Amino acid sequence: MITIYKDKNDISDDMEYVELNDIFFNQKTILELDNCAKEIIEKVDGSKLLSKYKIMSKFNEVALDIDCLSTGCKTILNVLYFPNKVFCMKECGDNAIELLYSLKNGNIYSDYAMIPFDMPAVRVANNSKYHIINDYEELKEWWENEM
Amino acid sequence: MKCEPKVMKYFSTIHTSFAINFVFSNNITILIGLSAAGKTAAFSFIRECMAINPQIVCLNYLDYQKDIKEMLTQMKNKMIVIDNADILLDDETRKFISLDENNQYLIIGRNPKNLFTTKDNLFELVSNKNEDVTEFWIQPYL
Repeated sequence: MITIYKDKNDISDDMEYVELNDIFFNQKTILELDNCAKEIIEKVDGSKLLSKYKIMSKFNEVALDIDCLSTGCKTILNVLYFPNKVFCMKECGDNAIELLYSLKNGNIYSDYAMIPFDMPAVRVANNSKYHIINDYEELKEWWENEM
Repeated sequence: MKCEPKVMKYFSTIHTSFAINFVFSNNITILIGLSAAGKTAAFSFIRECMAINPQIVCLNYLDYQKDIKEMLTQMKNKMIVIDNADILLDDETRKFISLDENNQYLIIGRNPKNLFTTKDNLFELVSNKNEDVTEFWIQPYL
């Protein structure tokens, strides 16, 4: 289950917060990629992983460096491979958010609501306490209220 | 907010097998949409034009350490294209942009907060492949 933060103060000191998902992916996550990445890249970006560092563009079917993945796709892969860090989710499109929420583990941050319509249960952080929400309206209310 | 484009109504360029044909109906255009629609690719093609068109200024996450608001205050008659806007623009910069009468903006991001925009400002990127050429254009976001 994914954990959501809406206030950076709730992120504990031993958990790094990452805002620049592109750079983190290009420098760190790239070294961790395995077969799990393949399906995510195909689902979100419509691109095929050709080798560890190459993808096939969905636009013109040429081989591109993997740094050309969308920021949304990079964010999902960052969260997947580094479940002990918190990643900014603000640059994720609706297609990426849906997949992000479906991850079994990981931490994401946004100070405004970003919720897929068909959402699974999530864990939310509030004043260093955590609780579980599995309803869209309830999650929206949590995000919008000063709780 | 409906406000006529101050710098350019059209922008087009070609980058190898990609063509960009944007028509602007507003001074602030916010480009939103799904991940992997090609927004950052389009940004990179526009950025290439900075070398030949002095009216174009492009900013993205590589400018994260810079004082963006201060930079914008120094600019006049520019088409300012901002990728990664959701992490690059703070509230003060957004307010400045919303009131800036000297420049035009194409903002790639999903959060219109403090830009005082309406649905007239929201657009999505559309692409179509015709033979070997992929064309990108913008259309109102529904």
